[in-house]
Amino acid sequence: MFTRSERFWRYSAALLLSLVPIFASAASWQHEQGTLTLEKTPERVIALNWAATEALLLLGVTPIGVADRDGYNVWVKEPELPEGVANIGTRVAPSLEAIAELKPDLIVTSSEMAPAANLLERIAPTYVVSVYKQGSRPFEKASGMLTTLGDMLNREKRAEAVLNDIDQTLQAQRRRLENAGLTDRPVALMNFLDDRHVRVYAPNGLFQSALNALGLENAWPHSGNYWGFSVVGLEALAPYRDSRIVVISPTLPGLSDTLANSPFWTYLPPVQRDQVYQIDPVWPFGGVFPVKRLATLLADGLLAGGSDNVR
Amino acid sequence: MYAESTYSPVGRPSLPARVPVAAALIWCSAFLASAAPWFGQLDVGALIAAFWTFEANDYASVLAHYSWAPRVAIAVLIGCGLGLAGAVTQQILGNPLASPTTLGVEAGGQFGVTVATMFFPGLLAFSPDLVAVSGGLLAIGLVIALTWRLGFSPVTVILAGLVVTFFLGAVNMAFLLLKGEWLGNLFIWGAGSLVQNNWQPFMELWPRVLVLGVLMILLMRPLQVMQLGQTSARSLGAKVGLIRVLALFLVVLMSATVVSRVGVVAFIGLAAPVLARLLGARTLPERLIWSSLLGAGLLLLADTLAHWASTWGDGSLVPTGTTTALIGGPIILLALQGLKNTHHMPGQDDSPAGFLPKRRSTLVIGGAIAALLLSTIGISMGWSPGLDEWSWTPIAQWHEAWVWRGPRLLAAILAGVALGLAGTLIQRMTGNPMASPEMLGISGGAAVVMVLIVLFGADIGRAGQLGAATLGAAAALGLLIMLARKHRFAGNQLLLGGLALYVFMDAGLRLVMASGGTVASQLLNWMYGSTWLVSEAEALGLLALIVLISAGLLVIIRPLSILPLGETSASSLGLPVTKVRLLLLLLAALLTAAATVVIGPLSFVGLIAPHLARVLGQQTVGRQLVVAALAGGLLLGVADYLSRTVVYPNQLPAGLLAALVGGLYFLWGLSRHGRA
Repeated sequence: MFTRSERFWRYSAALLLSLVPIFASAASWQHEQGTLTLEKTPERVIALNWAATEALLLLGVTPIGVADRDGYNVWVKEPELPEGVANIGTRVAPSLEAIAELKPDLIVTSSEMAPAANLLERIAPTYVVSVYKQGSRPFEKASGMLTTLGDMLNREKRAEAVLNDIDQTLQAQRRRLENAGLTDRPVALMNFLDDRHVRVYAPNGLFQSALNALGLENAWPHSGNYWGFSVVGLEALAPYRDSRIVVISPTLPGLSDTLANSPFWTYLPPVQRDQVYQIDPVWPFGGVFPVKRLATLLADGLLAGGSDNVR
Repeated sequence: MYAESTYSPVGRPSLPARVPVAAALIWCSAFLASAAPWFGQLDVGALIAAFWTFEANDYASVLAHYSWAPRVAIAVLIGCGLGLAGAVTQQILGNPLASPTTLGVEAGGQFGVTVATMFFPGLLAFSPDLVAVSGGLLAIGLVIALTWRLGFSPVTVILAGLVVTFFLGAVNMAFLLLKGEWLGNLFIWGAGSLVQNNWQPFMELWPRVLVLGVLMILLMRPLQVMQLGQTSARSLGAKVGLIRVLALFLVVLMSATVVSRVGVVAFIGLAAPVLARLLGARTLPERLIWSSLLGAGLLLLADTLAHWASTWGDGSLVPTGTTTALIGGPIILLALQGLKNTHHMPGQDDSPAGFLPKRRSTLVIGGAIAALLLSTIGISMGWSPGLDEWSWTPIAQWHEAWVWRGPRLLAAILAGVALGLAGTLIQRMTGNPMASPEMLGISGGAAVVMVLIVLFGADIGRAGQLGAATLGAAAALGLLIMLARKHRFAGNQLLLGGLALYVFMDAGLRLVMASGGTVASQLLNWMYGSTWLVSEAEALGLLALIVLISAGLLVIIRPLSILPLGETSASSLGLPVTKVRLLLLLLAALLTAAATVVIGPLSFVGLIAPHLARVLGQQTVGRQLVVAALAGGLLLGVADYLSRTVVYPNQLPAGLLAALVGGLYFLWGLSRHGRA
């Protein structure tokens, strides 16, 4: 059938092909809903949640499409999302048609999208990783996601560098706090939802990793929902008299007046000790990056000293 | 008018002792339970003194004075207000299922707060009452404007109120889904929390509640005249319409004022008057007084349970709206047991005469709707937005577009057909224009299961979702059959039973709403119908099921036209009434369950489509079924298309848009036929 020279070329080609995997292999990864196989390094990546968006940006990969792009720029802000990234819909219900139109070669999503997994697989290989899920440890999960994505996208070094940088920042901030002797009292991290309710960040959340690394104790002892927070009435904080209160911005207009007029608040032991600290916004449901940002903000805030009210 | 005698035991001249005993029991146990956690920290005297003073150097005392005592006080005050408002509402509308919720007040209030939060946050900080009351007034204003020409007949007011509730509720949900992060406080507001850290809200609230309460009591005499029935009242010279408007206005002010402080604690206004009647309060003054007192006791009890649940659990807030719903559910069930088996439907008399338009040919109407449906399919498949611009997909490429556009459109249309059929069945069976699959609680049953799954953060595939929802619907159906068998499936009891199930679903939903933004958005998305997840196989499966059931329906057209004639006449015509009712119930439930897994429990198509068919002049059962099915399909088909395209690449749940589109049409139809 084949001439001799044809056969020669075929053998040579086969030989060459067998060497190719060293450079670009069809590698596989196990993930939460099966196995993912990539023929080559993906270049057109779509992220269906903000933790994944953040991880891609940290790796220096600009996704071609993300869910709720405009919301990302308002709520997450850092790392910055470059111009020109397409919006593919809301995070709870992205537009499959828009995703398909972008012709991605990798989709990163979480198990919240489980019902859509089959439909997404029809578009592109889908990497399912849930930073936020019942029983998961967000920071470890997010680090794992970053490393795996680095592996998939051929950016292992970058992933390692990002994690090292975070680690060093955390250690540096811890030293700042320890040198100032500010690690003694527990802190209660919270957002005000209105003048009666707060969202308090629980020991099972992402922010706990920052507290641990800084050597700070979380004043709130109970586990929260799987996003790592509990919504509580303000009076639920009353029993934790030794704690410091760290309020994460933003707060609603008029809150400080309402609180100043409430003896319940003014008699609260941390308020009486002037141990209310307000820090700049930080996104509590992200990947690894908010831990670094929170650690810096928290150390700056505690070192700057507290007051008896929110701003 | 709704006749008083159907409710109360006959021949008891005076108030039975069990009313004050029950009220005292509820009050005492609620107060003791509320105070119990403090016994270790403060003695009884100090605890009672906490209502007016505190020890500055004892933090437990500060806490009791500024957190516990105002919470108890505000629970009692609000409970009183809502109980009274509920009793007055039931009197005005002559309907035992009426409550401020039925008038759209809560949805309106929430709408006001939503808009203020998004566009005028300063206004919200300045006065939360103002925005909630204006929202509530907007809702009731719509209701009044729509029913003005129909002379406020009870059934029309309730219908209009319900549709306004749905409509404003749908707008609220659209805001929440698209701007969830901005509206964190609204999730709590929707769940109702009585947490206090100040006396200020109570001090601002009590004079208002007092004034409104006194005004309501002053209206008692004219209200009592109305009890004699509209005709006799008119002959006595009472201006029935004016009194109703005035009383309704007071009810709105009361509920919106009360609710703007603490959020939606809905079922107190319904449960308190029902309980008062059940216990034997008969005359109007009795009912007003005991509804208020029982309302206060119930809310205090509910709030205490909520507080206990918060502290015994992991500390996260259990909203009071959850526990009021949990208390409201059993009370409605109690009402179900206590009601004499009566064929008197709420709102059955006063049948809206303006609602029977000219008969029209089914062929013409059905053909027109079918043509619209076909063009909807064509446009939906062909004309759609891309990331850059809108474009027309040539028919040759439709097979490629089918994956993204076809199954969901097909499933939406089928769900609409199913709901149109189910709605017609249920409305015919109960003879009640308020009835719908949503009211039957079948959708509610499916939703409870979904709420639980979300609450526990379990992720299950699409098949799991389908299975779980069907299981929930089947369980709800089983419960319904069990409850209804006792009353031989009479319409009234079915509606009440369904309502009770809905209440339980509501409780779970409120808990999820308060617990966190993103989880809640996800749930709301499903609740309002996320057609985007439907696969081809599921859509085809649904098609087979609907075709099968439609064939089955051909068999039962005759019984359906006989049933509303009344049980006696139906039996005398040789109809096995109980068996037929059971069969109808099963069919309606199956249709509802199939639709619910696709479009969620709250699309309201089951309420709207049969009405559309009637408004379009289809009077007989067969004709109404056909036209309602087509109309339902059209409604959800259009809704699916719009939900996918109007905010592209974002999407809205199709059921939400159906509620918006259908609600608008329904309101238009109602006012138009009022004029005719």
